[in-house]
Amino acid sequence: MGKILIVDDTMFMRTLLKNILFSGGHDIVGEAADGTEALAKYQELKPDLVTMDVVMPKMNGIEALKAIKAADPSAKVIMCTAVGQEQMVKLAVKSGARGYIVKPFQAPKVLEEVKNVLSA
Amino acid sequence: MKSVPVKVEHEGKWVPTTMGIGEDRIRIDAPLGCEIPYKSMVDLEEKKNQVMIATGVNAEKIYRIASVEKVLSVLKKFVITQCSAYRLNAFFMSPAIRGGVLVQDARWDKGVIAVMKTGIWFVSQDTQVCIPLDDVADIELTSREIQEKNLDVVKIDHLVENEVVTSFVLCPLTTLQVLYNFLKEATHDYEVNEEIDPLTGQVAMLVYSGMDSGAIENMLQLSHKDLDAVYEQLLSKGFAEVLYVRKEVQLTAKGVRYISNAMKSSTG
Repeated sequence: MGKILIVDDTMFMRTLLKNILFSGGHDIVGEAADGTEALAKYQELKPDLVTMDVVMPKMNGIEALKAIKAADPSAKVIMCTAVGQEQMVKLAVKSGARGYIVKPFQAPKVLEEVKNVLSA
Repeated sequence: MKSVPVKVEHEGKWVPTTMGIGEDRIRIDAPLGCEIPYKSMVDLEEKKNQVMIATGVNAEKIYRIASVEKVLSVLKKFVITQCSAYRLNAFFMSPAIRGGVLVQDARWDKGVIAVMKTGIWFVSQDTQVCIPLDDVADIELTSREIQEKNLDVVKIDHLVENEVVTSFVLCPLTTLQVLYNFLKEATHDYEVNEEIDPLTGQVAMLVYSGMDSGAIENMLQLSHKDLDAVYEQLLSKGFAEVLYVRKEVQLTAKGVRYISNAMKSSTG
């Protein structure tokens, strides 16, 4: 079980992820709606893991991932984006992402990926 | 022609007999007493320990054969590689994404893809994968980075035990578009033309994600009656089916196709 920061620009997706992660026994320590807010919340809350949307206003998920990894190289970030954008995987992995989930997603698989990344 | 023991369906009953598996045909002994050239076969379906082979332009003649897995595996390989179906050599990766999560040890497999009347088959030295057409949620021509090159691939989203799996097919560019067109044509009848309102779309997404009725009512601040009305819409459009009690539903391939398309057209 871990302390998780959820980053997504839509409240619906944040709420959905919050429900899924909460049902898996995780502690949702914060939410952010864009990359800039994500970086600030990461530094403030020091979560065990971040779920990071890719396409967001102000600062996108890849930029936010890089900024978080620059501030904390041990940060665990799972990227989360829409179907059809799987080509972002390579870029995200190169930038330090530990895992990747594609929307629409199913709760058991999300929890499995989170568990894998947290225990790695 | 090597003979193996099988059971065949004859006049509504399963009857033990022998079947010869040859290079260009199978022979089924009495009571059927017939030879079936692979080239006359237009469809192949499988169930546990059973295959169904169809011949004729409209798949009017059907043979049901039951046997051990090893025999059926050899039979399926001959049928898929020689039957009358759109077929080509290709690389495929299945599953590549499962339930929205990338499969870490997914690898490209070299083999044959055949598009039959009721399913898409991949066959390689080690694997046999069938995607029934009515389980296909989406087909897309897209690009994927393979060995540091961006290559065009056909992406197939399909349901496996109520879980959405994504598979990829890679073949020369000249045939890829033909394959894509053929697959789109084969799944044309399953395309989603209906529109649903945003609330129903959100409920569909939550059902897909695995939320139960209680969680959905909570998340969307809906009354029991409101959610029931939304479920009614999903059921009437064929997007969902009743799971185990009237108040719990799960998405059908059609419903999954709808929300996959909705996610694609959103900003992500």
